[in-house]
Amino acid sequence: MFFSWPFFFEVLIGGLLAGVMYSLVALGFVLIFKASGVFNFAQGGMVLFAALTLVGLIELGVPAALAILLAMAAMVVLAYVVEKAVLRPLVNQPPIILFMATIGITFFIDGFGQTLWGSDVHTLDLGIPNTPLFFGDILVNSFDLVAAAVAGILVTVLAIFFQKTRIGRALRAVADDHQAAMSVGIPLRVIWVIVWSVAGLVALVAGIMWGSKLGVQFSLALIALKALPVLILGGFTSIPGAIIGGLMIGAGEKLAEVFIGPFLAGAIEDWFAYMLAMVVLLFRPQGLFGEKIIERV
Amino acid sequence: MAEADSMNAAAPAALSDAQAGQTVLRLNDIELGFGGVKAINKVSFEVRKGEILAIIGPNGAGKSSMLNVINGFYKPQKGSIEFRGETRRAMDPNHAAKHGIARTFQNIALFKGMSTLDNLMTGRLLKMKRNIFWQALYWGPAQKEELEHREAVEKIIDFLEIQAIRRTPVGKLPYGLQKRVELGRALAMEPDILLLDEPMAGMNVEEKEDMCRFVLEVNQEFGTTIVLIEHDMGVVMDISDRVVVLDYGVKIADGTPDQVRANQRVIDAYLGVSH
Repeated sequence: MFFSWPFFFEVLIGGLLAGVMYSLVALGFVLIFKASGVFNFAQGGMVLFAALTLVGLIELGVPAALAILLAMAAMVVLAYVVEKAVLRPLVNQPPIILFMATIGITFFIDGFGQTLWGSDVHTLDLGIPNTPLFFGDILVNSFDLVAAAVAGILVTVLAIFFQKTRIGRALRAVADDHQAAMSVGIPLRVIWVIVWSVAGLVALVAGIMWGSKLGVQFSLALIALKALPVLILGGFTSIPGAIIGGLMIGAGEKLAEVFIGPFLAGAIEDWFAYMLAMVVLLFRPQGLFGEKIIERV
Repeated sequence: MAEADSMNAAAPAALSDAQAGQTVLRLNDIELGFGGVKAINKVSFEVRKGEILAIIGPNGAGKSSMLNVINGFYKPQKGSIEFRGETRRAMDPNHAAKHGIARTFQNIALFKGMSTLDNLMTGRLLKMKRNIFWQALYWGPAQKEELEHREAVEKIIDFLEIQAIRRTPVGKLPYGLQKRVELGRALAMEPDILLLDEPMAGMNVEEKEDMCRFVLEVNQEFGTTIVLIEHDMGVVMDISDRVVVLDYGVKIADGTPDQVRANQRVIDAYLGVSH
């Protein structure tokens, strides 16, 4: 393996762009965690459900734009149902209870989506260009550039929404203390529906991007696992953290595979991200960008 | 998100004699049980406009449960609540907050990761009127509105003398200051009725004096009706206009501090009695 700078940059950029795709999934987790302190195990299932619904509608002959709108509506309905059937009876329960409930939700929507739309592999083609582009000597895939742009827009909007608006402040308040939030008149239920809806829309975006790349199939639900190290690195509570965490994981694993892999007999891409996450956990359990954990005794 | 109701922006400065003493909230035969335990048993009392009403009683007498009934965290099994001319079976926390009932908690309930300023700003949420789209954009009117509310919050910060901790995440603050921030968040709602659950618990003498001063000033300057639970009898007798005494979920006395002090059942409840 010889080293040359153009090649290094090509790997780096390819890695960063792949990382964006991880960030898209991680974002959904961060949203719900920020607003309810719950790790939503069902996020991967929501990605699958959103993509299946979209692809199912398109195969029924619905025009793509309308299908996207309908899929969005489906995610909002799902958020409403989850709030009503699962979260509302569990108000003021400890986070672990809510976490367990989200595992239940995962099984339900994995099964429900496939019952509704079948379990075959569907192709999703929304006409996103997928051609190699050359910048000097560096090869970049145009699909990855589109994904990066989408993620960039999504994050900017979400970050402003959370940091600068009253709803953002209400979301953070709900995350900190349910009872106190209710006492200042924050409608818990509305907030939960909003945040699960937004997480559902993010899942749809992730489902579109990943589904276009891999085909819409059950394994989409498993990409959630790849979001875990991203979250640990970036911090569960930070939207920019989810993005930067994704970029670091994406770039890190590709660079490690190409430049360190040969010395370790290869295939380190599969576990590199998890090892990186473990190291971060040892030194900075709240992640690189997460809110500091404050504990007074 | 539901639009905030329009509320009286400025608290009434001083109450006319006609207004003072009117009943603003009445609890009728409230009964509340948890499983087999009767936390509150047929308790009735009223809260009058502009007064400081203390609820006292030994541990487990049902005082905190009473506050939870008033702001809607607990739904009583029997009885009714009259508030603003409406009789309801139970309150709802959101309805209570919208109609001017604010509260603090026995075990401080603040948004620990947020700064003092942000905590107080949450108290303004119901007063902000720009809808979700303006909020999402955060410019134009929404930004102007944010600044107006910021001003109101700064006044409360000055009033409570917590300027120095404006930007500190409240989780880092010592206990006494957290209690003060919690009071500040309730005040930011510009409430008509303020429910304080043991506002002075665990404080030293100096902190208690400060807290007493704040409570009295809020009551006198803004005409805010205050319902408080407190164990320090010196404080209760000094600052309250009326006292309700609960024991094992039953009301055993209701009257001015002097009347209550002289009441034999109250003395028995506190000192014990040989049967």
